[in-house]
Amino acid sequence: MRPYVGAEVALLATAAALVAGVYLVAVLDRFAAALVAGAVGSWRRLLVVPLAAAAALLVQQRRTTERPDGAGWAVAPALFFGLAAFALALVPLGPDLVIADPSTGFVAFSAAIAFVMIAVFLHGWSPNSPFALHGAYRYGAAALSFQIPFLLAMLATALPAESLSIVDIVRAQEPAWNVLRQPLGLPLYLVVGVGVSFWGPLNLSDASDVAGGTSVEDSGVARLLWTIARSAMLVAVAAMGAAGFLGGWWGPILPGPAWMIAKTGAVLLAILAAGHLLARVRIATFVLVAWAVLIPLALLNVFVSGAILL
Amino acid sequence: MIAGPLVDATFWVFALGSIVAGYRVFRTDSMVRAAFYLLASFAGVGGIVVLLGAEFLGMVLILMMAGEMLIMAIVMVMFMMNPAGLNPMVMVHQNRRAAVAGIVAFVALAAVGLLGNFPARPVPDPSTATAELGTELLGDSMLVFQSAGVALLSTMIGAVVIAGRKGRFGVAEEDSIEPSLQPDEEPGR
Amino acid sequence: MTTEAVLVVAAALFGIGVYGALSQQSFVMLMMGIELLINGAILALVVLWARAAGGSPQGQMLGVVFMTVMAVEMALGFALITGVYRVRRADITEKLRRLKG
Repeated sequence: MRPYVGAEVALLATAAALVAGVYLVAVLDRFAAALVAGAVGSWRRLLVVPLAAAAALLVQQRRTTERPDGAGWAVAPALFFGLAAFALALVPLGPDLVIADPSTGFVAFSAAIAFVMIAVFLHGWSPNSPFALHGAYRYGAAALSFQIPFLLAMLATALPAESLSIVDIVRAQEPAWNVLRQPLGLPLYLVVGVGVSFWGPLNLSDASDVAGGTSVEDSGVARLLWTIARSAMLVAVAAMGAAGFLGGWWGPILPGPAWMIAKTGAVLLAILAAGHLLARVRIATFVLVAWAVLIPLALLNVFVSGAILL
Repeated sequence: MIAGPLVDATFWVFALGSIVAGYRVFRTDSMVRAAFYLLASFAGVGGIVVLLGAEFLGMVLILMMAGEMLIMAIVMVMFMMNPAGLNPMVMVHQNRRAAVAGIVAFVALAAVGLLGNFPARPVPDPSTATAELGTELLGDSMLVFQSAGVALLSTMIGAVVIAGRKGRFGVAEEDSIEPSLQPDEEPGR
Repeated sequence: MTTEAVLVVAAALFGIGVYGALSQQSFVMLMMGIELLINGAILALVVLWARAAGGSPQGQMLGVVFMTVMAVEMALGFALITGVYRVRRADITEKLRRLKG
């Protein structure tokens, strides 16, 4: 039987990781924007501004739409946040430092990612508003296109481990990180991961320049919750990228968990910087690229990894 | 075998949740809502399957259904009238007979479940179930697995042929309706 | 979580599925009924695998076959809905009295 920690420890650890991660995303996003603009400014400002923005949302007046699906609207951010917590709980900080390590960890993570599209669709459909629904459709089209490259990119990491467990996947990277063994894997994962958490250039469903997308009708606490859930999902995606491709806890000198946290931070910074550096991709372009380029590349990645192992 | 009062409580939550959600599928005005209820029902069943020790099957069930529900919702909005459920409407036929058939099916199967004498041979070690399934897929059941793959491939080809842009009566963007059917005519013949 | 309890739950899902598949007019709702039906079947299969088959991996294999059946059903179902709508403008079963052609 695989080790599971107690329920209290699991809850506390996941909650702590989520809170720290969400705050880190907010700070790093501003930091990346400042870096791109070339003026970092004061650190105190960077650290305080996200909290101030959150506080402002807390006291903002709530508005609503005509005949929304109230239950769906309320459930969507909670579902999204829950999925992020579920996904993050599967990522190991160290060989014995993991909240849950099911023998099908990779499938469980993929199931959480697949459920994200339901959360986003629910969030866009329930306010009964055209722009929100358009955002949901854009995400649906993108999500259905990147599901297969996502699964294939992750699957290739399971090949050298001969296991679907994420701890085993990281453990198998001791001789060489997957980013070296499968050079196609990490770029594919990053593209798809950015799409999953709809951030930066692939923010096709929630960006302000596509009329606000699914969260156009959100206000106050609901918008804050949705933002938090999005950030939490981004943390989970970055952590899984660090575990699956960048060797997880393996690294010289420093202890394992420190390496894991540093790598997660690096992936996060890369994704957030991409959001400020790259232009938004049109949905039609992305769908075409996903089906015609990403899937063949991901298949090639799986075949080459398999051939090397044989 | 995983067991204990917490497992039992979780099972009942999943079980009642999935039955109620399954029932709500056919008792709601909106098809999108129906799709969400169906997905909730599937998630409940996936949870029970995981509790029973078939981790891989349960997770794959949830993974597959999430994608399917999204496609279903999009198909609904494309083709069906009243997809958002703003105008309540009842779209059932032979309602009573169908209900009787459903109840008869339930009673008969539940009787089989309750009265049947099943051997008590539990899974010795559920933690190896995933590995065993993998060995089985690429070992003794290779032929079945490959046949399933071929069936899926031919389904994909068939589905693309049926739903492709070029239909029997013309290209989809132009008028691809059956020639014997006038555009204004009700096609209920 | 006795075997009987799970089997009754599976039977309930199957019964609801039978009702849905027989009573719904809309093609998509009809497919939802069929899916609930397969859902119940998978649940019954897995509980019998877990409790009565001694953990034989062929039981899980059968589950994989069930899921293949489900995937085929969905894919062909959606394709047929698209095809029928193009040719007949039909979205409910009553508009398809004549199946020829």
